[in-house]
Amino acid sequence: MKSLCIFLAVLFIPWSFALAKYDEFEDGDDIMEYDDNDFAEFEDVSEDAITESPQRIITTEDDEEEATVELEGQDENQEDFDDADAQEGDTESEPYDDEEFEGYEEKPDTSPSKNKDPITIVNVPAHLQNSWESYYMEILMVTGLLAYIMNYIIGKNKNNRLAQAWFNTHRELLESNFALVGDDGTNKEATSTGKLNQENEHIYNLWCSGRVCCEGMLIQLKFLKRQDLLNVLARMMRPACDQVQIKVTMNDEDMDTYVFALGTRKALVRLQKEMQDLSEFCSDKPKSGAKYGLPDSLAILSEMGEVTEGMMDAKMVHFLTHYADKIESVQFSDQFSGPKLMQEEGQLTKLPETKKTLLFTFNVPGSGNTSPKDMESLLPLMSMVIYSIDKAKKFRLNREGKQKADKNRARVEENFLKLTHVQRQEAAQSRREEKKRAEKERIMNEEDPEKQRRLEEAALRREQKKLEKKQMKMKQIKVKAM
Amino acid sequence: RGQRGRPPRSYKAPSAESSPALEDPTPDYMNLLGMVFSMCGLMLKLKWCAWIAVYCSFISFANSRSSEDTKQMMSSFMLSISAVVMSYLQNPQPMSPPW
Repeated sequence: MKSLCIFLAVLFIPWSFALAKYDEFEDGDDIMEYDDNDFAEFEDVSEDAITESPQRIITTEDDEEEATVELEGQDENQEDFDDADAQEGDTESEPYDDEEFEGYEEKPDTSPSKNKDPITIVNVPAHLQNSWESYYMEILMVTGLLAYIMNYIIGKNKNNRLAQAWFNTHRELLESNFALVGDDGTNKEATSTGKLNQENEHIYNLWCSGRVCCEGMLIQLKFLKRQDLLNVLARMMRPACDQVQIKVTMNDEDMDTYVFALGTRKALVRLQKEMQDLSEFCSDKPKSGAKYGLPDSLAILSEMGEVTEGMMDAKMVHFLTHYADKIESVQFSDQFSGPKLMQEEGQLTKLPETKKTLLFTFNVPGSGNTSPKDMESLLPLMSMVIYSIDKAKKFRLNREGKQKADKNRARVEENFLKLTHVQRQEAAQSRREEKKRAEKERIMNEEDPEKQRRLEEAALRREQKKLEKKQMKMKQIKVKAM
Repeated sequence: RGQRGRPPRSYKAPSAESSPALEDPTPDYMNLLGMVFSMCGLMLKLKWCAWIAVYCSFISFANSRSSEDTKQMMSSFMLSISAVVMSYLQNPQPMSPPW
């Protein structure tokens, strides 16, 4: 509805203004007529001038009497004219001199010759013409806007249909596994709406919760921006596909400490660079999954070999082999904190918060030209997700694995502390200086001189003690070194 | 298999600060661009600027998130429409192509 109103407004406003402009031109003609009428009186003057000659004869004859002949329809102007003529009449009482009137004959001769000149019609340039054809650029623009609006409506509806198709297929499986399916977070309490939560015209969310092992599962249907014509055109150059991203947040006690990732080689390389946990714990290059019976297209990134061995059981391999084309990436991590944050120097004083997470990214088949059937074909992948949740709960590292994992985590923390050591030192130094300054101010502000002296002595004694301590430490270190 | 253990947790939308890389900046950029072009079209009386502003505000609307303020969107859109109308009121001649 919104888009319709906008479209109508776009058409009507310039249309009404264009019409108003045309009205002005029509009125112009009427104005001209009125102007003509204003000068109508003076038009008659020229005719009266011709008729004046016989009147002149009359006035010259009556000159001695100085009688002014009043004719009908004459006003004051005419009388003035008559008086002027009366005065001139004296000089004109003599017989007409032909030489005087030579110029006058030419005038009537030249005016008809002027009428014989042909009227040339000048071509009005295109931009001054008032025809619709000259506005072709504007028509193009409006057509473009209409096309954009049409694409918006069509794209929006298609994304909606795909989302509904996905949800209708998966609803049963989800409702049997989770107590709460679909919550948009608007109510204080968790209420199951049983509907997808539309974040955008191309992103749909679904929150499921209420199952053993996991806190909750957030499913994001990330469709292509079919509602944006620019995006549609860009996709013609660079094909892309819809994605389904599933993020399972595990309970702390239900998952052991390990970092493991699996997916297409390209995706893993990208994730290794972007993700905080993968870059810190899985420093090796992605290895081919062929060793475990997976197709060549899939690669594995793992913190240690034991985790890979544990994860790749028969059922998992079966899932991965059958649906390899739909899998973009799978990530199991107890140190998941999202992508690396771009931080300025001096601000990083604490490690980012981590959560035990299972992250799945699936590609919808069809690479852009998706149909509702393609969305339905993702159902087995959801079964894989549920299976993975249970698997992550069951899988426990042995003693060696646990030791290795703990060592890794301690190492990462140490590295982090070393990096921030300088910043933390500076922070401590500045805090110490602040304290000293505050004390000095207190001493200065003391009015009682006795108290002032005592406080100063106390501050001196404290500083001396600190110096002594430092010297002791240095001596101890020297002794140890020796 | 429905194993329901502890009570379900309610949904908490991921905050935008925690995932800046995932946030799409397109609607904000297009909004700003639309306003800039509208002002250019109004001040410099350039028709093509005004038309581009209309397109920018449409693109911003199409890419916007549902949580975003519709007032901002509508104001940018109205500004671009007014830029187009004012350009044509001042100079009703059609737009000439740049070639």
